[in-house]
Amino acid sequence: MAEENPLAGKSRAKPKTAGKGAGGKHCPLGNARALGIRQVIDAEGRLTGDLAEPDLDRDALTRLYEMMVLVRAIDDRGWILQRSGRVEFWIPHKGLEAVHTAATVAFEQKDWIFLGYRHPGTLLLRGAPLVQLFAQFFGRRDEPFKGRRLPTLMGDRRLNIVPMTTQVGSYIPHACGAAWAAKIKGDDTRFLTFFGDGSTSRGEFHSAMNFAGVYKPPIVFICENNGWAVTTPTSVQTASATFSQKGDAYAVRNMRVDGNDPLAVYAATKEARDLAPKEGPTLIEAVTYRLGFHTSSDNPDLYREPEEVEEWAQWDPLDRMRKHLELKGHWDDKLEEGLWARCKSDIDDAVKQAEAMPLPDPASMFDDTFEEMTWMIEEQKAHLLDDLESQP
Amino acid sequence: MTPRKLNVMEAISAGMAHELETDPNVVLMGEDVGQAGGIFRTSTGLQQRFGSSRVIDTPLDEKGIVAHAVGMALYGLKPIVEIQFSGFIHDAFEHIMFCATRYRWASGGQYSCPMVIRSPSYGGIKGGFWHSQSCEAFFVHHGGLKILVPSTPEDAYRMMIAAVRDPDPVLLVEPVPLYRAMSSEIVLDGEPAEIGRAEVVREGSDVTVLTYGPIRHQATAVADELAADGGASIEVIDLRTLIPFDIDSILRSVKKTGRVIVVHEAPLSLGFGAELAAVIQEKAFGYLHTPILRVTAPDVPYHFSIGDEYYRPNAHRIRLAVQRAMEFEF
Ligand SMILES: Cc1ncc(C[n+]2csc(CCOP(=O)(O)OP(=O)(O)O)c2C)c(N)n1
Repeated sequence: MAEENPLAGKSRAKPKTAGKGAGGKHCPLGNARALGIRQVIDAEGRLTGDLAEPDLDRDALTRLYEMMVLVRAIDDRGWILQRSGRVEFWIPHKGLEAVHTAATVAFEQKDWIFLGYRHPGTLLLRGAPLVQLFAQFFGRRDEPFKGRRLPTLMGDRRLNIVPMTTQVGSYIPHACGAAWAAKIKGDDTRFLTFFGDGSTSRGEFHSAMNFAGVYKPPIVFICENNGWAVTTPTSVQTASATFSQKGDAYAVRNMRVDGNDPLAVYAATKEARDLAPKEGPTLIEAVTYRLGFHTSSDNPDLYREPEEVEEWAQWDPLDRMRKHLELKGHWDDKLEEGLWARCKSDIDDAVKQAEAMPLPDPASMFDDTFEEMTWMIEEQKAHLLDDLESQP
Repeated sequence: MTPRKLNVMEAISAGMAHELETDPNVVLMGEDVGQAGGIFRTSTGLQQRFGSSRVIDTPLDEKGIVAHAVGMALYGLKPIVEIQFSGFIHDAFEHIMFCATRYRWASGGQYSCPMVIRSPSYGGIKGGFWHSQSCEAFFVHHGGLKILVPSTPEDAYRMMIAAVRDPDPVLLVEPVPLYRAMSSEIVLDGEPAEIGRAEVVREGSDVTVLTYGPIRHQATAVADELAADGGASIEVIDLRTLIPFDIDSILRSVKKTGRVIVVHEAPLSLGFGAELAAVIQEKAFGYLHTPILRVTAPDVPYHFSIGDEYYRPNAHRIRLAVQRAMEFEF
């Protein structure tokens, strides 16, 4: 059947994706099937016939794509704002748009998500206004964390999104423990958490896998294998052939998907979420690539070849999804142009509004240390404010 | 030997290079320290020079890095371990405080763990509460670890060498905000700093300011300004070593001035200032004209968007403390 489908790639038997990274030196996606990397679409947006095409209608597909584009546009702008000194720090997410957006869509609003720092789409998909994100990037008073956290380390309790802890990987057992708690309480809340390949080296990852294997909490762990942890390649993190196979050691169901294929991520995550109440945890390794710098303080020239980035850019998740939509007749150049224009002007507005918002007041540093402030904090606060009164 | 002009980062690098060069048992390990030379570039070129079995890129696992270094030290290597930011050292706390420091004592002196743990610290880089930590006081309590706190290029170079050669585990608290901020001429002769010796940065007769880390430079600037304006005469002492600290230099100064202000970036409660205040009142109570004052951060986390300006102690707050000390009446 798939042969008749105009979306089906001709390359199903042996992948020959028109020079698009097929058999690439750096990017394994052209050789996905042999490597056990599950796909729905290939580099040209055609169905590969591997994972079944998920049941998403035209609206759902275009909304997902529109979000991926908005997320890319946010990164473009965040980078410019940082380079021009208006945002203090930036953690890029270019190339990583597919995993978090598609996985978020596969979950329900009541489910909890323990977020990383390259996932702005998760907040937007759950209803956070764009200006809230930019207010966070600018460290403004009226964003949910009151300007206390590094830009892009986001979350929002109203949206059931727990922010990351800053130490990478520390929160994996927190997510697992929360899922375990829901199971103990008999709630049908399910859980999702994202972390990088580097984070799997920390003891917390192994502890979470171990507990997850034993107690079977309803959680989906997504390891975003983006090739690098700062300057460290995955080959230094682990000698295992895959990150997903680490689940085997702990009896945690696992799979490996193409993280630049939003439909594969969606399909895998949706299935894992559906299975979670009965079968418990799943570890999904999403094979993807950080096209940008690690952070605004990084210099990738020191550790990676430009040709590696170029090769991966051939598998850009935005291009693939757009081509897929075009093949389906859902998309064209005019829609594309309109979308980018809309994203940019929405971002213009959000930047303008957010930047005009006030910074936090020094007194607010002392709030939230305890539910009720101790006399010690009260005294230190009074003392500091007194000193600051005369500070120029 | 002709001196070379180095900033703090280069001085740290030169210290490590010297020890890697002269002692084949020295190894450097940590996240991103090898091929790329560390996220702050403090080990630029060292892997290329000494090879990847001596300058080692590790998995992202602070506990694992330190724990394996403990094993290396037991067997006779001298590991220098880089923790990327001091905020991430806590994962390794057990292995630092209750393994590395305990092998000597708990084996009746048979084993020891000479190793250096580099802990890039302090705020001022808009880093928020994990990337701006001054957490050295955790490592004071319970003993067993020497703690060095360089805040000049010269000290960075010589303390690195002293730390590597010390027979016990050493925590080297590195001043991130100073890495590229200042440089000076250093003779790269491999001479180690003396552990346990403070530096009287500036002599004075009215107030003793005890400090360490980058804020030493603000304290010195305040002292210079006051002197120029005909204000109080401040003696600034950079402790340089917290464990063991230089009690003789401290008491000599306190007996002269009778007024003490401790200045550190770390939070107030049980910060190193608490220990200094306790010891000074035990040993020099009769010489004090005023209570011992502390200028520190408060007991709350380091704020991202306004922490550098309002959380971190600064020259203004040091000046106010001097004024309070001078105006104090019983
Ligand atoms: C415990 C800990 N150690 C070090 C760091 C500094 N650091 C920030 S991000 C990062 C790399 C993380 O790599 P990975 O988990 O693969 O995620 P990625 O950044 O590639 O998305 C490191 C080492 C940290 N945040 N936490």
